[in-house]
Amino acid sequence: MEEPIRLTECDPNFIQEVAEAGGKNVQLCFQCGTCSGGCPTAYAMDYTPRQIIGMVNLGMRNEVLKSGTIWVCSSCYTCMTRCPRGVEITKVMAALKSIAIKSGIETKNKKAAAFYKTFVEVAGAYGRLFEPMLFLKFALKAEDSLTGSVARLLKDAPFGLELTKKGKLAFMPSKVKNMQQIKKIYEKAMGGSK
Amino acid sequence: MKLGYYPGCSLESTAKEYDMSVREVFKALGVELVELEDWNCCGATAAHSVDYLLSLALPARNLAIAGKQNLNIIVPCPECYQREWSASEALAANSELLEKVNELLGNGLQYEGNVEVKHPLDTIINDIGIEKLSQNIVKPLKLKAVPYYGCVIVKPPRKKKFDSPENPVSMDKILAAIGVEVLPYDLKTKCCGGPVMLASEDIMLKLSYELLKKAKAAGAQCVATACPLCHLALDAKQINIEKAYNEKIDMPVLYLTQLVGLAFGIAPKKLGLDKNIVPVEKLLKSL
Ligand code: SF4
Ligand code: SF4
Repeated sequence: MEEPIRLTECDPNFIQEVAEAGGKNVQLCFQCGTCSGGCPTAYAMDYTPRQIIGMVNLGMRNEVLKSGTIWVCSSCYTCMTRCPRGVEITKVMAALKSIAIKSGIETKNKKAAAFYKTFVEVAGAYGRLFEPMLFLKFALKAEDSLTGSVARLLKDAPFGLELTKKGKLAFMPSKVKNMQQIKKIYEKAMGGSK
Repeated sequence: MKLGYYPGCSLESTAKEYDMSVREVFKALGVELVELEDWNCCGATAAHSVDYLLSLALPARNLAIAGKQNLNIIVPCPECYQREWSASEALAANSELLEKVNELLGNGLQYEGNVEVKHPLDTIINDIGIEKLSQNIVKPLKLKAVPYYGCVIVKPPRKKKFDSPENPVSMDKILAAIGVEVLPYDLKTKCCGGPVMLASEDIMLKLSYELLKKAKAAGAQCVATACPLCHLALDAKQINIEKAYNEKIDMPVLYLTQLVGLAFGIAPKKLGLDKNIVPVEKLLKSL
C-alpha cells in the first residue's frame, strides 16, 4: 500500500454491506495478525487476511473488491477458527467475492470469479453439479479467446480421461426431479439480493 | 440405527469409491442409510461466493426434506457436511433468516429446524463406538498410514463439535482400532488447496505436494482421508504434482471407509478400490 489512504474516498457503509452479505464481526478485529500467520495461501495474496479485515474496517471498498486476495482464499477456515475476536474472516472473504461479482467490478483474478459463477450456473441448471459441464463452461469463461479455452480443455483432457476410465465422470447429469422448485430458489435468492 | 443419507454430487461421480465404501461399512455396522429423496447440491464454497441467501437456501432444502422424512442426516463429504450443519445452526439462531429461507423454499416444503447433521467420523466414534467397530474386524490391517482430515471436517468448530479443530483424533482412533500404525502427522488439518484447484492450480499443486512429501517422509504407506476434494487433489492430481515438482511420489490415498472395509473383510471391488488413481495393488498385496 504505497498510496496514502484517503478517508474521504472510503465507504462508511462497507462494514454493514459485508455483514449483510454474510461476513460478520469485522469491527471487532484488533489487528493481531493471527489470521495471516496461519493462512496457507497468504504467500499468494496481495494483501494478507489481516490487511483485508483492516481495509474493510476503514471502508476501502474499491481496493478490497479489486484485490487478488479474496479469490486466492481457499475457504479453509483456519483463520476463523483461530481469531481471538470472533471475526468471521472466511465468511467475510466469501461475502467480498459475492459483492465483487454482483457489482461487476474488474477483478485481478477473472478465472476464480468465472469458476464460482459457473459452478452456481451449472448447479442451478440441474439442481446438482454436473462436473463435465462445469469443466467445459469454465474453460469457455475463464479464457479470453476460444484458442485459450481449447488449450485449457486440452491441458485438462488427460485428467478428465483418467477419471472417465475409472467410471468417475458421468456422461449424463444426475438431475433433481423437482427442478421447478430449484429454479425458484435460485431466482428468488439471487434476484432478491441484487 | 437409521439415518438419512446425503451423498452430495462428488459421491455420485469423482468420489464414487467413497460412496461405495461408506454404504458397505455402515451396512456392516448395522446402520440403515436412507438416501434423501430428490436431494440437491449444497452449493459448496461457490454459493456463498455468489450469494449469501442462496448459500443457506440450498442446504436448507435438503434439511427440509430430511425433516419431512423424520430423519437426521449423515454427510460424508466434509464440504457438504459443513454447509448443511452451518445452515442448520444459522437458521436455528435466527428466526428472521429461517423465515426468509422458508419463503424461498415455497409452499409444500418448509424447514422446521429439527434435523441433526452428522459426519461419519462422528457417528462411528460417538454413536456406534470403537467397541462395536472392533467386533466387525476380521483382518487387522498391518500398515503404516498418516491420517489426513483436511479443513472442514473440524473447522470452524461448530456448537456441537465432535473433535478438536486443531488436533483432531477421531480418524486416528478408528485407524488404530483396525490395526493401522498411525504415524505422527502435523499437517493433518492443513489445507490441500482443493477449492482453488481449477482457478489457481499452482496453489493446489504446492499445498498438496507438501502434504504428500511429509507423508512420505513420515514413512507412510498410504494417506487416509475422508474428503472427496482432498482425495481428488492428492490422488487424481498426484501425477500433475509429480510433473510440477519433478519428483516421483507414488503415494496411495485411500478413503478411511475403504480401509475400514478392508479390515471388515469386504472385497476390494465392493469398496471401489479399483477406482483409486494412484495404484493400490502393491499396498493391498502387502496386507
Ligand atoms: S485474527 Fe482476528 S483479530 Fe487478529 S487480525 Fe485477524 S481478524 Fe483481526
Ligand atoms: S479461510 Fe482463506 S483467508 Fe482464512 S486462512 Fe484459509 S485461505 Fe487464508
